[in-house]
Amino acid sequence: MRTATKRVRVEPFVFHTLNTIFMIAIAVVTLYPFLNTLAVSFNSGVDTTRGGIYVLPRIWTFSNYKAVFATGDVGHAFWVSIARTVVATFVGVFLTAMLAYALSRKEFMFRRSITIIFILTMYFSAGVIPTYFIVKDLHLLNTFLVYILVPSGTAGLISAFNVLVVRTYIKTLPESLIESGRLDGAGDFRVFMSIILPLCAPVLATISLFIAVGQWNSWFDTFLYTSSRQNLSTLQFELMKLLQSTMNSNTTQTSTSAAGQISNMVTPLSIRAAITIVAAAPILVVYPFLQRHFVTGLQVGGVKE
Amino acid sequence: MKSTVQDNKIEAMPKTKPQRRNQTFWQRFVSQGQLILMSVPMLIYVIIFAYVPLWGWLMAFQQYKPRGGSIFSQQWVGLDQFKFLFMDEGFTRVLRNTIAMSVISLVLSFITAIGFAILLQEIKRSFFKRWIQTISYLPHFLSWVIVTGIVATSLSTEDGIVNIVLMKLHLIDSPILWLGEGKYFWGIVGASNVWKEVGWNAIIYLAAISAIDPSLYEAAEMDGASRYRKIWHITLPGIKPVIIILLIMNLGWILNGGGFEVQYFLGNGQVVDWSETIDIFVLKYGLRIGNYSLGTAAGIFKTVVSIVLLFMANSIAKRLGEERLI
Amino acid sequence: MGVMARKTWMSVMASTFAASLVLAGCSNNSNNGNASPSEAANQAGNSPSASASASASPSAGGEEKLDPVTISFFNGYGGVVPTDDNKIYKVFKDELGVTLKEEYLVGDLEQKLGVMIAGGDYPDMITANAKLTAAGAMIPLEDLIEKNAPNLKKHYEKVWNMLKDPDDGHIYWLPNFGVYQGDFKPTIYQGPAFYIQKAILKEFGYPKITSLDEYFDLIEKYKAKYPEIDGQPTIGYTTLAFDWRVFGLRNAPEHLAGYPNDGQVVVDPNTNVASLFEGNDISKPYYKKLNDENAKGIVDKEAFAQNYDQYLAKIASGRVLGMFDQHWNFQQGEDTLKSQEKFDRMYVGLPLVYDPSIKDYYLDRPTVNLVNGVGITTKAADPVRILKFLDAMVTEKYSKIINWGIEGQDYQVGDNGLYYRTPEQRKQQDDVAWKKANKAEALLNAIPKLEGNYPDGNADTPGNQPDEFFATLKPIDQELLAAYGHKLWSDFFSPPPENRISYPAWNIDLVDGSPAKIADQKMKDLALKYLPKAILTKPENFDSVWNEYSNAMGKVDTKAYLDRVNSQLKWRQDNWSSK
Repeated sequence: MRTATKRVRVEPFVFHTLNTIFMIAIAVVTLYPFLNTLAVSFNSGVDTTRGGIYVLPRIWTFSNYKAVFATGDVGHAFWVSIARTVVATFVGVFLTAMLAYALSRKEFMFRRSITIIFILTMYFSAGVIPTYFIVKDLHLLNTFLVYILVPSGTAGLISAFNVLVVRTYIKTLPESLIESGRLDGAGDFRVFMSIILPLCAPVLATISLFIAVGQWNSWFDTFLYTSSRQNLSTLQFELMKLLQSTMNSNTTQTSTSAAGQISNMVTPLSIRAAITIVAAAPILVVYPFLQRHFVTGLQVGGVKE
Repeated sequence: MKSTVQDNKIEAMPKTKPQRRNQTFWQRFVSQGQLILMSVPMLIYVIIFAYVPLWGWLMAFQQYKPRGGSIFSQQWVGLDQFKFLFMDEGFTRVLRNTIAMSVISLVLSFITAIGFAILLQEIKRSFFKRWIQTISYLPHFLSWVIVTGIVATSLSTEDGIVNIVLMKLHLIDSPILWLGEGKYFWGIVGASNVWKEVGWNAIIYLAAISAIDPSLYEAAEMDGASRYRKIWHITLPGIKPVIIILLIMNLGWILNGGGFEVQYFLGNGQVVDWSETIDIFVLKYGLRIGNYSLGTAAGIFKTVVSIVLLFMANSIAKRLGEERLI
Repeated sequence: MGVMARKTWMSVMASTFAASLVLAGCSNNSNNGNASPSEAANQAGNSPSASASASASPSAGGEEKLDPVTISFFNGYGGVVPTDDNKIYKVFKDELGVTLKEEYLVGDLEQKLGVMIAGGDYPDMITANAKLTAAGAMIPLEDLIEKNAPNLKKHYEKVWNMLKDPDDGHIYWLPNFGVYQGDFKPTIYQGPAFYIQKAILKEFGYPKITSLDEYFDLIEKYKAKYPEIDGQPTIGYTTLAFDWRVFGLRNAPEHLAGYPNDGQVVVDPNTNVASLFEGNDISKPYYKKLNDENAKGIVDKEAFAQNYDQYLAKIASGRVLGMFDQHWNFQQGEDTLKSQEKFDRMYVGLPLVYDPSIKDYYLDRPTVNLVNGVGITTKAADPVRILKFLDAMVTEKYSKIINWGIEGQDYQVGDNGLYYRTPEQRKQQDDVAWKKANKAEALLNAIPKLEGNYPDGNADTPGNQPDEFFATLKPIDQELLAAYGHKLWSDFFSPPPENRISYPAWNIDLVDGSPAKIADQKMKDLALKYLPKAILTKPENFDSVWNEYSNAMGKVDTKAYLDRVNSQLKWRQDNWSSK
């Protein structure tokens, strides 16, 4: 009896200590590549070539970042990226949730067929050129709308994956909630808007992160569909352009650089690190605001009320 | 208000259950008008942007050349592209590598992400918890070229941290050339996938856990259930539907080999018998030598396999009475 | 279970493929990976004594005051994107009436062109690619040049026949590099060679080295004497076989056997017939030697598993004694050594041969950079106007503006008439932001240009000005050059003979998707798989591994490969000889 009570007291302590240590270990291991990239981005490119940069720069410099921000159109492209991310995320999350709700209703007559049609899209792609023709025929080339509508790489208006995740989540909600809405005489759309949407906050926060990151990181659609309109260029595309130009100029023009003046030179490695940090920073800033929805253990208020 | 709903029900289905089937198509169509409006526009969208372009698949049955003009005036070669793919002496090896690396990455990713999400949930101080969570998903934002660079450096025989640690622990006598021996390659790919994506993959489980009704835990606590019982009987069942759904979906991606770039950047001539996947084979013998039809043929092959696997997994889930996709 | 990453896997693969190409720097489109196109020419692009083809005639197209025109241009080579108010572009606008609307490649070129061809959306002017001619997107230029572009005609006169398309005899592309006149003599050497640290030569009193045995002997002795450099273990010999940068592993044997860089074949100069050297007795002695050196601990065991960054890091650490490579491929590592002032750890290239009876043929004469440069598409409204712009670019006046810049701002003129840069002017060249506003490097890289010297004695570009070269020499360089009795780094190499008419074989188009191209890829795969194995195996097993390699080579359709190469070599012989 005595040992039992003792175990009860000791166990949480041991568990929490071990768990904390384990979590710190994971944090260290996963933080390292990011810190390393950060260090490289602040280290002289020529010096980085030597290797041996871990978490602190050896020769501090801002020249990598200067090179990134010297790219004239980064400013405008940044706002285009913000715009596409915000618009596509709001529209995408709403449409995803709405479709997911429809597909979660057992009585829905097209539930199975629509689900299958969506699921299959995860497992094939027609290729770049046929999609290009669709975009061209719909007169979407060189329009902002292309970013919102056309699936490309990591970006797309609505993805089967997200729909299924949300649908699964909705199905775990107590059916009685929906029924109670029904009894109030609400139609499906009103049930969705007033009951389902608020209850789905954690999963919607999750998929909005997925959609936003996909949109933010997308450059392939700019490359394919809007590259001849500079004012539609996105941040990622400008950064890719910069990276590529660094690589080209590095293999062809170093012979002209005079002796002793090369220590400020950027290299593909150093510029890539700076680009990575610049591109990731906005997401990292926004993240904590989404995070509280799914980390702090959201109370599913609707259930209790 | 109440009465209208009930009246409708009575009108529509006078007896109760079986009568739903007796509804005419149009009756159901009209009564589900809102659901249809909520889904059909997206259906049209996905048909336009995903299904209509599928005419591009015709290319798999051609020897596509830019010189040949549009896709409809190309030379037809029947199944030659598929033959080239399947008859290559290396194909079985490539298929084996692809599946092996997929399965390894899949299993490792699932276990680590779920485990991490559950353990993180046990952390009580929310400030600490949030920090750990933020840090853990940072590597997701690094491109594979950066991460594989760090992996290669860490595994180097020169001053790689992995060899240094193993030597210090006296587990090995001399540094191991990790990337030079095929037998380590699959494990390295799996571990790299976990390293980069564990935090990101855990997000979805964290969301699922947060949706579990807290009253269940409170009730269990009153019954004196231990931490492990609560995880086993409440948390895991709570996120099981998500796990099953993700598992089924991921099984369909078994021919993706657990990524493409990771093998591309870490592979080399010495380990090619273990590192080459379908995607890399197609890159080398399709895109890179200007045979664009091969990539399409391989894509069709992968799609067919995916769909077969998907329906199999789905029906197994159904038989087991679990959550399923379709 | 990458969450977003696998949404639509094929499109993701397509984009990651493109991305990986970008990230891996694989903008290379030569079929052997010998050198990127601009590079191939660039490595030969240092010839102070070449007399320029520029006439002093001021009849540049721009002098005629034509109506303003906007030319759209897609630059598939990429490069530093100029600002809108770029100084050089402003000169073109003010003086030639030409506004360039440029688009630069980002991502995968083949994919971009595929989309462009599918949609038929071409710019007016575009950088060369065989796919575009195949799709009928380009207009023939030969008649237009005859009528409207006297300077271009003069520039390309000697190589006119080589510019013609092998299929239909039209000229579609105006090459960007490799058209020189006069005798050819580079200062520095950027091409393939067995490189060795200057410190080693100094240590042993600057011995003359021509064979593999002498080369490795020196490396062994030095390594024995200095097992550590700067506190880290000395690496005797390394090489690189990463991504497309595989020539360090594959190409040495052809040079050792006395052949020039023809890619993966050696060509008999008398019969003009190509044969393979990989997997047979031409290459075996070299890999056997590496196998022996590996047993002695000289070869870097990690060589074949390292990536490009790791390779550069080793070079930059100053402890790699030697390697076979092309200079531009490891230049970044050397730049780091330079910045640390470890000048004696930098390298000098040596033309080693199997035995003394063989004359080295590493250094070659520049060749025209075929199917490179720019062409004019069917979408161009006024092709003549575009040609006139390009015509102006090969006049002395505009060549100097685009290469040197503007007098007083970018360079000074010395009393002797030679141009030079002040230290400040030199320094601004390293400033990326400044370059965007004041240079047109990406454009220059793509368009036809004068190479060699101008009639006034100045070099084509600042980098080739002889004074600039001598100014970069450090004491150890001067000592080393003096010890061997050389003036220039290229003096280590035998003066190149006149090029074989069909030279070089590496730029032969193997035809997309053909059996020849499949064979080419297979041979590459086999080399990357078996050569490391052969080098790293125990000496007694070398022969069995080598036999395995030979047998695997035997299964490849090498006949299709050689047939294609030989038919093209013959075609060149027949069509290029007549001037």
